[in-house]
Amino acid sequence: MAGIEISALTKEFPGGVQALNGLDLSIADGEFFALLGPSGCGKTTLLRTIAGLETPTSGSVRIGDRDVTRLPPGARNVAMVFQDYALFPHMTIEDNIAYPLKIRRQARETRLKHAHDVGSQLGLDGLMRRRPAELSGGQQQRVALARAVACHPSAFLFDEPLSNLDARLRLEARTFLKRLQRQLGVTTVFVTHDQAEALALADRIAVMEAGRIRQIGTPREVFGRPANTFVAGFIGSTPMNLLPGVVRDGAVLVAAQQLSVLDVPDGEVVVGVRPEYVAVTENGPLAGAVATVENLGTSSLVTVDVDGLSIGAVVPEDREVEPGTRVALNPTRVLVYRDGELVS
Amino acid sequence: MIGVFLVFPGLWTLYIGATNFRLTGVSAREPDFVGLDNFERALTDQTFYHSLWLTLIFVFGSAVVGQNGLGFTLAWALRDARKWIRRTLEALVLLAWILPSSVVAFLWIAMLDRDGGTINALLGTVPGIAWTVEYPLLSIIVFNIWRGTAFSMMLYSAALSSIPPSHLETARLAGSSGTQTLRDVVFPHIKRHALTNTLLITLWTFNDFTPFLITASDYDAEIIATFIYNKAIVGGEMGYSGAISLLVLLMNLLLALVYLRVARRRLA
Ligand SMILES: Nc1ncnc2c1ncn2[C@@H]1O[C@H](COP(=O)(O)OP(=O)(O)OP(=O)(O)O)[C@@H](O)[C@H]1O
Ligand SMILES: [Mg+2]
Repeated sequence: MAGIEISALTKEFPGGVQALNGLDLSIADGEFFALLGPSGCGKTTLLRTIAGLETPTSGSVRIGDRDVTRLPPGARNVAMVFQDYALFPHMTIEDNIAYPLKIRRQARETRLKHAHDVGSQLGLDGLMRRRPAELSGGQQQRVALARAVACHPSAFLFDEPLSNLDARLRLEARTFLKRLQRQLGVTTVFVTHDQAEALALADRIAVMEAGRIRQIGTPREVFGRPANTFVAGFIGSTPMNLLPGVVRDGAVLVAAQQLSVLDVPDGEVVVGVRPEYVAVTENGPLAGAVATVENLGTSSLVTVDVDGLSIGAVVPEDREVEPGTRVALNPTRVLVYRDGELVS
Repeated sequence: MIGVFLVFPGLWTLYIGATNFRLTGVSAREPDFVGLDNFERALTDQTFYHSLWLTLIFVFGSAVVGQNGLGFTLAWALRDARKWIRRTLEALVLLAWILPSSVVAFLWIAMLDRDGGTINALLGTVPGIAWTVEYPLLSIIVFNIWRGTAFSMMLYSAALSSIPPSHLETARLAGSSGTQTLRDVVFPHIKRHALTNTLLITLWTFNDFTPFLITASDYDAEIIATFIYNKAIVGGEMGYSGAISLLVLLMNLLLALVYLRVARRRLA
């Protein structure tokens, strides 16, 4: 088991695509770490560089106390689960799980016994003699996990392992994965573009954009205090309200109404408020008419027009309002961004 | 259409094989029906067995091992090579395949020639070796490998590119060596292609007549196609060669059936 240290990592693909751009990252031993970001931001490239499947243009990767930058993948003792699971179609499940041990020249009996132990830990009893094609997507995903677990790596690298499952199975697999990681305590790097998945699973999250890390923090930090407007817009199942505003004598004004008083210098700012933290009340600083109501299940997302601004607010199911009604909004936990960066 | 082009020549061969039809002489005008005599003669003819044996070596050496092996090796070696290297090599190999037989044969005769041949010049053998005379079978085996490798290479290139990269990477991450990766990941993935390829090149090589252009009627390189030609055109015994053609046809058919069976059984 080991932590992962990445410093000044740059990867430029032939053709000039800068996939990673001077990236620094430190992942603690036993941590469940998520790499989150929009498509094409370099998540997969970072993961593959840690695995050794891509060679960095510059910078270094350390796993545990070894500098592995120039080591081949096989010498790094990491296990990867691919998006397509990469199960060998011609091998039975037990042979698939035991495959890394076969390469390490363990006797067939030993490695099959080990495969069965891991398999039953992951609920694969009774499937061990089948071929991958005879398994459901969720089962295949667990086989891929089992193969990773069976070789006792110092780190797990997962590239969107849940993205091929349907929504319901995905939630199940998510819980399963989290419990497994807790049990094993193996350092895990998890790539996803689903912010909810990252928030639910990870101890810490790195939010990436265009080959750089925009914020690293716990799910609470990243959700509650996004460090910049990019992260603010990316995290959260309902998009954060980012409203043009000004600060005058410490008072934060949006649509000429005072929202709060903060210790920030005067000037133009962007005011961020999560819809979840906007209360729909009889009297609040902002007033307007309800434009749309979207049902989210146990709550609804209400969009209100305030002086030409659209402001979203989440209301619980028993407090729903009709479109057209005039309401007042009372935002709390107001964040202030200047030049895209969080100032308060 | 198929009936006209396949069944008719087939039946014609069968008919010819059952006569004493000759290119010249009395029986050229009025061939007599001789029944199974020609087949009986073939099965007791030592030169026929000799030719069959040579054909076996020729097919095995040049197609099953040579073209298959070299084609796969090239495809495997080139899979990560730079684009222009791969394109150039593919073009060269393909050239060998698409050039007309007569041109190719002429090139090889020049190359293998005793005096002033390219190979002798390269090896620096003085006096030169008359390759086609001293090693006729080896000559045509090497020739046929050179000639036919392109097809296998292209087929294996396509097969290799159908292997999901994540499978090869899983092997790399497990620390698998080159041979282990070939054994555990690559071969299981391409065995269907390998079988099809082997069947095709075996049949083509079995019936290939081009070697005749290089070694002519040399007895030590008289593979079956040459044998039939020698009997029919040179010897004028159309009936006898027809019978042998039919036997060869049956052998090819048998071969194809065996392959198909193996394919169905082992790969199902
Ligand atoms: N082999 C390659 N050659 C050239 N460019 C590449 C290669 N692989 C990735 N890229 C480029 O590098 C950038 C980062 O790609 P990467 O696959 O890491 O993105 P990602 O964050 O994993 O995206 P996604 O969520 O869509 O999987 C992209 O612009 C991509 O086009
Ligand atoms: Mg990706």
